[in-house]
Amino acid sequence: MIAKTSAEVGGMGHSLKRKEDLRFIRGKGNYVDDVNLPNMVYGHLVRSPYAHARLKSINIEKAKALPGVLAVITGEDLAKANLAWMPTLFFDKQMVLATGKVLFQSQEVAFVVAEDRYTAADAAELVDVEYEELPVLVDPHKSLDPSSPILRDDREQKSNHIFHWEVGDKQATDKAFQGADVKARVDAVFQRCHPAPLETCGCVADHNPATGRLTIYLTSQAPHAHRTLFALVGGIPENNIRVISPDIGGGFGNKVPIYPGYVCAVVASLTLGRPVKWIESRSENLQSTGFARDYHMTAELAASKDGKIQALRVKTLADHGAFNAAAQPTKFPAGLFSVCTGAYDYPSAFCEVDGVYTNKAPGGIAYRCSFRVTEAAYLIERAVDVLAQELKIDPADLRRKNFIAPSKFPYKSALGWTYDSGNYEPAMKLALDKVGYAELRKEQEEKRQKGELMGIGISSFVEIVGAGPSHTFDIAGIKMFDSCEIRIHPTGKGICRMGTKSQGQGHETTYAQIVAQELGIPAADITVEEGDTDTAPYGLGTYASRSTPVSGAATAMAARKIREKAKKIAAHLLECSEADLEWEPGKFFVKGTPSKTKTIQEIAFAAYTNHPQGMEAGLEAVDYYDPPNLTFPFGTYVCVVDIDKGTGEVKVRRFVAVDDCGNIINPMIVDGQVHGGLTEGLGIAFMQLIDYDENGNVQGGSFMDYLLPTAVETPHWETDKTCTPSPHHPFGAKGVGESPNVGSPAAFVNAVVDALSHLGVKHIDMPITPWKVWTILKEKGVVS
Amino acid sequence: MAKKQLVHIKVNGRDREAMVEPRLLLVHFIREVLELTGTHVGCDTTHCGACTVVLDGKTVKSCTLFAVQADGSELLTVEGLMKDGKLHPLQEGFKEEHGLQCGFCTPGMLMSSYALLQKNNKPNEEDIRWGISGNLCRCTGYQNIVKAVQYAAGKMAQGGTR
Amino acid sequence: MALRIEKTLKVNEPIEKVWAFLSDPRKVATCVPGAKITEQIDEKTYKGSISVKVGPIVTDYKGEIQIVRLDAANHEIELLGKGQDVRGRGSAAMNMTGKLRSDDRMTEMTSVSEVNVVGILAQMGARVITEVSNIMFGEFTKNFQAKLQHEDEAPSSGEGKPISATSLAWEAGKRLFHRDS
Repeated sequence: MIAKTSAEVGGMGHSLKRKEDLRFIRGKGNYVDDVNLPNMVYGHLVRSPYAHARLKSINIEKAKALPGVLAVITGEDLAKANLAWMPTLFFDKQMVLATGKVLFQSQEVAFVVAEDRYTAADAAELVDVEYEELPVLVDPHKSLDPSSPILRDDREQKSNHIFHWEVGDKQATDKAFQGADVKARVDAVFQRCHPAPLETCGCVADHNPATGRLTIYLTSQAPHAHRTLFALVGGIPENNIRVISPDIGGGFGNKVPIYPGYVCAVVASLTLGRPVKWIESRSENLQSTGFARDYHMTAELAASKDGKIQALRVKTLADHGAFNAAAQPTKFPAGLFSVCTGAYDYPSAFCEVDGVYTNKAPGGIAYRCSFRVTEAAYLIERAVDVLAQELKIDPADLRRKNFIAPSKFPYKSALGWTYDSGNYEPAMKLALDKVGYAELRKEQEEKRQKGELMGIGISSFVEIVGAGPSHTFDIAGIKMFDSCEIRIHPTGKGICRMGTKSQGQGHETTYAQIVAQELGIPAADITVEEGDTDTAPYGLGTYASRSTPVSGAATAMAARKIREKAKKIAAHLLECSEADLEWEPGKFFVKGTPSKTKTIQEIAFAAYTNHPQGMEAGLEAVDYYDPPNLTFPFGTYVCVVDIDKGTGEVKVRRFVAVDDCGNIINPMIVDGQVHGGLTEGLGIAFMQLIDYDENGNVQGGSFMDYLLPTAVETPHWETDKTCTPSPHHPFGAKGVGESPNVGSPAAFVNAVVDALSHLGVKHIDMPITPWKVWTILKEKGVVS
Repeated sequence: MAKKQLVHIKVNGRDREAMVEPRLLLVHFIREVLELTGTHVGCDTTHCGACTVVLDGKTVKSCTLFAVQADGSELLTVEGLMKDGKLHPLQEGFKEEHGLQCGFCTPGMLMSSYALLQKNNKPNEEDIRWGISGNLCRCTGYQNIVKAVQYAAGKMAQGGTR
Repeated sequence: MALRIEKTLKVNEPIEKVWAFLSDPRKVATCVPGAKITEQIDEKTYKGSISVKVGPIVTDYKGEIQIVRLDAANHEIELLGKGQDVRGRGSAAMNMTGKLRSDDRMTEMTSVSEVNVVGILAQMGARVITEVSNIMFGEFTKNFQAKLQHEDEAPSSGEGKPISATSLAWEAGKRLFHRDS
């Protein structure tokens, strides 16, 4: 049990207002585009209009001649410095600027640098590129056809196949299927979508020839990893590189990869000796930066006729676009997709994934999903509903019947994950009670008699976050520990720095609350800094909901080291032995004599003015935390929808989200995360798709076509919690940022399918647009 | 390149003037000429509303106006909301109700809400949601923004309108 | 992006006069807004260009027009036009079949075009390209009728006046929202 601190101290469990808000509400945030350095110039990329074409010539003379233009860089220029290609975060390489050919529409072809951004844009229009069109491949199902063009000339193996990955016991699974009473199957596409944070990607690369240092202001969720990669790839000494991620306007995974624009800006700055700013437009962001999903999946469940699941079999085709730029741990080409076994207890499973190339934007990054966990959770929760439909069992009952029992934790899943803790039934019960499930089913029956369409969708998801233990996890070779450094000043205030980087998650408040909890120093007295690689300890950054599980743990551990030293100082000040001392947040006191006490502030002062002889002065600690395991947040979401029979429009009437993320630091911030993630899930389920026509023209390339939910479409989200702490985390927390995006798509889709299941509908692929629904209604003869 | 023109704009109560290209967008004028970087650019198709400012009392998307079109007008940006060192009730509301996370949409949201409350000082939830429907947010799901505006409306009703 | 555009227009002229005009790409080019024939390569092939501006997007396609089929007896012409944008913004290809039919004094032309657009314009989607082609066909019809009327006058310069960008975008925009077609 975690001792509750006073509201003034603001430790765990307090809904402290955020410390970072003051600058944002005054318009004084410092985002990358707000950075203005003396002598700064602007970069603009020239991009390919073709999805697949040979680069015949690039004529930069007219561009260079425009007054105000300082440089025009092409792939050939970069090739001379061995920089035309750069490694991706997953064993592939990606063109920085195209040489030879282009592989997706909007691919980077040249970089123009000019005195101001308008001139740079003008000059980019003047770059004349001659292309020779080549046949285009946009259907991943055709990538392996012998008649399809081979996209990657640069690879030794001339094929569009990137990887094959499998896990589980194929034999046992096939056997279980052979002997099964019932088999259910769903073919589900998790469509290509895009995180679209409101701030696009960009940087200011500032090479100072006088000092030899390169400072890069960067929209980066992982500043240290980026610094190391710039050093390795660019051959610049790492101590001469400083990456600063100032305020970031949303990341959601979009700001984890290194993009060609960054590299071009760095090269330009090194060449010109001036700061070079490159900020992409929204269209560039949607068309060329890390997309998400594009998983074409098939799941089969084998079950007994009373609904006990026996086995799961999954086959997935992963479309990675032109380069495999997926950002995920190196041993996992399909990320943590194998958590697709879900919240259910059964002995056998087999999962295989094949990755292929197409003429589309590169990537496959985690969009608020801890490396493919959205795809996994969506798949199993859809499959379970399909099974329920097949067996004619209520979907809540089917889930309850198959949930992993609390006594079984830590639970080893059939695909090899050890779930740390879980208690799925109470979370589902809370959600069902809160939404009034039984009454809703009655209402649905009545409405069906009248020909009205309403549906209830359940999603009981299990997340897997907090990557990760060094024995299994690394990104580009760097282990996935994280860090915290705390320094307490003489007057009892402190500063702490972490290897993570908030893009809105409230770290300046939540980390301070962890320190407040551990040391009893008011959160208001703790300054939190992240994102400057010169000062922050090394970390792998913030994505995959890993900050609280890993860096939060490091914060607690560092604080505990400080407490250990504080105890020694207290014993010195109180002239007793350490064994005589008791701790309560904020002070040590002598057992049995509470009046003999020293506050942490007094101890801090003493650390600099009266420390015991033989002990180092000061009061600080660093911790690099290697998590022993991942954490497994979970929950049940219930969605109620009504469908308009005239227009096919789906209205979300209610959405109840019960999350279990273990012990919570700041409930207000957790709820905010849930609201935001559910809204992203709403967009994905009903509105979003990045599609390509047969010529490789991108069809979701701007906000005209790629739709984000506004306040009008977004329903009121009802949230609640259960609490099943993580047994291995220093304060039992699990992380929650991504759960709502992981768990909600299935809830939305299950609800719509449930509304139409009596008409024989088994599955509808996202995005579930009114047109799609209306077409189904027409087909079934029920359009009004 | 067309000849630069002189524009006079009253910004947050102060008279400002500058020579600008006719094609200079108002948002770039605000961010780069006036160096008020609170107003943000979030898209290139006039959808997101991150660039929302109040021009002659009406909300406009400053990415879809030229600076020369604002010549002779009065402009209010997020930096102009504080008065005498005190936060505007809306700014207070956003802080009290956790109406922001990454903060990027916040200035636009504040300006749209400001204009909404000028027109309708007792908005219900639906009014608020429609009032900010031109501003996209990726972090908050809008729920707490609604509460923030309600907080401000309540405060302004008590302490007099601003 | 592949689009199929079918159009019909009527002119108050005898069929042979219309056919004479239609079977000469240089004459037809004078009616298409922004189009130009620059060179004749052989009896079937011409070099030409067309300038299309949609809002901020300017594309100047340079390419070839080929007469694939010329059937004077049935008054049918099939043309194939292919061009690449000079600024590397994309490419377009069009296969057009034009058929004439007459009933006494009126001649009716039916055209079926299969247009394939690759590049920035295609990102706008079918809805914008369709609107733009509707507008261009509207202008073509006006010019076609006018030129036919004045056929007996001075020879044409071989150049069609390009539509202004603003009017094109404005028209397209209006139509998108009012859907009066």
